[in-house]
Amino acid sequence: MDVSHLSIREINSLFTKKEIKPSELYSKVFENAANSEAALHAHLTLFEEENIKKAAEADKRFSNSESASLLDGIPIAIKDNINIKNYKTTCSSKMLSNYTSPYDATVIEKLKQQNTLFTGKTNLDEFAMGSSTENSAFGLTKNPWNTDYVPGGSSGGSAASVGARSSIAALGSDTGGSIRQPASFCGLVGFKPTYGTVSRFGLVAFASSLDQIGPITKTVDDSRIIFSSISGEDSRDATSVINNQLDIPSDNTATIGVIKELMEDGISGEAKNEVNKVIEILKSKGYKVKEISIPIIKLSISIYYLIAPAECSANLARFDGVRYGLRVDGNTSYEMMENTRAEGFGAEVKRRILLGTYALSAGYYDEYYGKALQARKEMIDEFAKTFKDVDYLISPTTPTQAFKSGEKTSNPLEMYMSDLCTIPANLAGLPAISIPTGLSKDELPLGVQIMSKPLSDNSLLDFSEIIENEVQFDGQPKGWL
Amino acid sequence: MSLKPTIGIETHIELNTNTKMFCRCAVVDTDEPNISLCPTCIGLPGALPVPNKKAIEFITLLALSTGCEITSKGMFHRKNYFYPDLPKNYQISQFDLPVGLNGELEIVIDENKDYIQIERVHMEEDTGKSSHSGSGRIESATSTALDFNRSGVPLVEIVTKPVISSSKQAVAYIEELRQLSIDLNISEGRLEKGNLRFDANISVALEDSNELGTKVEIKNMNSLRSLERAIDFEIQRQTKALEDGVEIVQETRHWDENKEVTSTMRSKEGSADYRYFSDPDLPNMFLSDEFIKEVETLMPLLPKAQREELMTTGLSLSQSNILSKSDDWIKKLYVKVFDQTKDSVASYNWITGELQGQMRKANIEVLPEWFNDDYLSEIIELIKSNKISFTSAKIILTEILTAETTPSKVAEQKNLFQENDSEKISEMINQIIKENQDIVDRIKSGEDKLVGFLVGQLMKQSNGSVNPGMAKELLLKELEG
Ligand SMILES: [Zn+2]
Repeated sequence: MDVSHLSIREINSLFTKKEIKPSELYSKVFENAANSEAALHAHLTLFEEENIKKAAEADKRFSNSESASLLDGIPIAIKDNINIKNYKTTCSSKMLSNYTSPYDATVIEKLKQQNTLFTGKTNLDEFAMGSSTENSAFGLTKNPWNTDYVPGGSSGGSAASVGARSSIAALGSDTGGSIRQPASFCGLVGFKPTYGTVSRFGLVAFASSLDQIGPITKTVDDSRIIFSSISGEDSRDATSVINNQLDIPSDNTATIGVIKELMEDGISGEAKNEVNKVIEILKSKGYKVKEISIPIIKLSISIYYLIAPAECSANLARFDGVRYGLRVDGNTSYEMMENTRAEGFGAEVKRRILLGTYALSAGYYDEYYGKALQARKEMIDEFAKTFKDVDYLISPTTPTQAFKSGEKTSNPLEMYMSDLCTIPANLAGLPAISIPTGLSKDELPLGVQIMSKPLSDNSLLDFSEIIENEVQFDGQPKGWL
Repeated sequence: MSLKPTIGIETHIELNTNTKMFCRCAVVDTDEPNISLCPTCIGLPGALPVPNKKAIEFITLLALSTGCEITSKGMFHRKNYFYPDLPKNYQISQFDLPVGLNGELEIVIDENKDYIQIERVHMEEDTGKSSHSGSGRIESATSTALDFNRSGVPLVEIVTKPVISSSKQAVAYIEELRQLSIDLNISEGRLEKGNLRFDANISVALEDSNELGTKVEIKNMNSLRSLERAIDFEIQRQTKALEDGVEIVQETRHWDENKEVTSTMRSKEGSADYRYFSDPDLPNMFLSDEFIKEVETLMPLLPKAQREELMTTGLSLSQSNILSKSDDWIKKLYVKVFDQTKDSVASYNWITGELQGQMRKANIEVLPEWFNDDYLSEIIELIKSNKISFTSAKIILTEILTAETTPSKVAEQKNLFQENDSEKISEMINQIIKENQDIVDRIKSGEDKLVGFLVGQLMKQSNGSVNPGMAKELLLKELEG
């Protein structure tokens, strides 16, 4: 039996029964990493050496039956835009290639309390800007299912790591689909919780009103376990909310809405088929399914590409070479800052900073950023109205299967379109999950996305688990394992 | 050509909270650089701001005390600009929804009241401090040292409407604002420490013009002397320019303390574009009615009301104004002494004149602990009942300021009680006349002013213990008789 394929609950049960030791699992995931890393480049840093002692401590806790946590001894990979004290946080940017964080993100503190073992920091699109993990200053990451293809992004390293079983689960961040899209491309579960339920303190901000940390896992239950460990109000994050969960039915008394606008042009036949497959299953189980229309969803990408760059143009202003990170000298302070930013940021980051700066400029604010805010507000209202009629919304996670490396790098607009289905949940702050449901004719994973109203994360996970059990997706990437 | 100046003043007041505006670092008063820092106030990646409730309370207090309308839905905005001592390269500030709008402050010049309209009261965070070496300016510095202790310290900015017409009014306004902030206990109000810093916008236009002239801004003054002289200089400079037909350029000027001139810092083409937008890390800040009511209960007796109360004791407006701007112990002492003596003029003169004068001369900052408030009343009563002379009273005051004793003890020991017995005084006069027959003859032949010499002799021989008024009266009677 290869323990690295098991779910967290299964592993914990083996640990508890003393049938396997955390250090053995720990060795196993690093063996997997050794086999796959050269081809995939999922990680920027691997922590093998420094955590061997921690794995041994976990062994001791289980052998003394002292462990109280489901995550005790579970190897988890962390996206490299989440701070772990005394480790580098590079955000896959030249700007921070030498930057070591002096503090832990709240989610890291929480996982440390659970005695999680961190396996390493995973690759991402620079500052989480991208959909393919090709915008990394430290090389691209490949899809574990087929290395000709991208793993998705921006949390592509986290998805590739779990896909290759180099970690049992991973944390990613999701601003416009950066957890769900790579999870879908790599045949995994990707969960973006309700905005505010997981603290952003210690997550390097891309777009503060959209960013949310969440898990990439093999099963829905693994996501549930991690979500319950990392969520909760945080006094260090003014946008964090009290995690008072709403109870929505997940059994067949629930009503499912199919979003018409996400089943039209621009969505591949294969992606639609997966949604239809799930709809048929749900119908057969007695769920009420109806088509609903949210026309403003068609504006999602336009709204997103004004709001996210506007916020990022300010969020990334702090990278100036003055206090930390890269510094490229100049004759004056200003020249130094200019040189540093010119050399430190990659093309996509610069594009978004420029776009955002423009959208906020005097004379353009009302026309661009102001309008986008207005449209976002309308979208939130539309979703609220929709959730009076339906309990869950279903759509594809991505318009297509994973695309080939290099296929979309020269066409940013086409790249942006790959986030069409995932962006609305960020704009409206909704919980959203991607569940793997099948394979394309190219033998690449496909998934569906389920969304529900804010603060119904637990019900969403329950409902998703029902689909997961019915669909029985058991695909695993070949070759590495 | 008849010209009129118009002045508006922007004042930054550093609030005396224990901790900074958006992190819990201590606000420190030290020259040792960079000792009170955290990820938030030096803008490390992933750090987030959390507002300081005390600072919001202080700003609300100031807005209420200046009669502003309170914007209950205040919002923090990001003000974007690059500067090495601004860690995030944006400053968290307020834009279109300041805490206070449309207030008014009563000021006093001599015996007249005036009212300065306040446009807005808003909060922001302070920047760090730069020290440029090689030259005083960032553009030509060979190196710049940065201290972030001040970074993130809460500031309140109060902006007047362009309604001030002279340097005298400007100074009276700052004096009033300073006292207000001290009485509200929101600032130390120490100008020499930069607790209050002000910028003045000055323009000159034709007397009968409805439009303001081209405005020139003088930045960053922190003394009343600079404010007064800079305004006077600028009014003169602009007046001369207009009279000579020279165009005035809209620009920012710097006041040179030593040369006593203003000089160009930078010219502005319109206003800088700060690309303000609502800070997504700090969603709508809501000042609840309960919060505002709670703050109202903290309102002390304001300087304006203090003046009104003091005037009911019989003081003039200017005297009341001076007292209202004096240290707290002086105000209290006045109230006490007045209560006991019911003599406002004597109480005022003894406290603000003799007592403060002697303390200043002797370099005493606080009253010695044995100095009983009743002593001044006692001294005033002794003078009024002719028991001691004014000169003796001054001696008594000096004694009780330097040694633990009481007024009557000093009077006794130094034999300062006045001789009020006319027979005894007459005896002494006869003696003096005998001893100074030549002087008496000269007086009789018309040299009146020599009477004073005889009185002086009398005072000398009696060790100042005779009532000088009575002595002179009796002496004249004797000489005539
Ligand atoms: Zn701090």
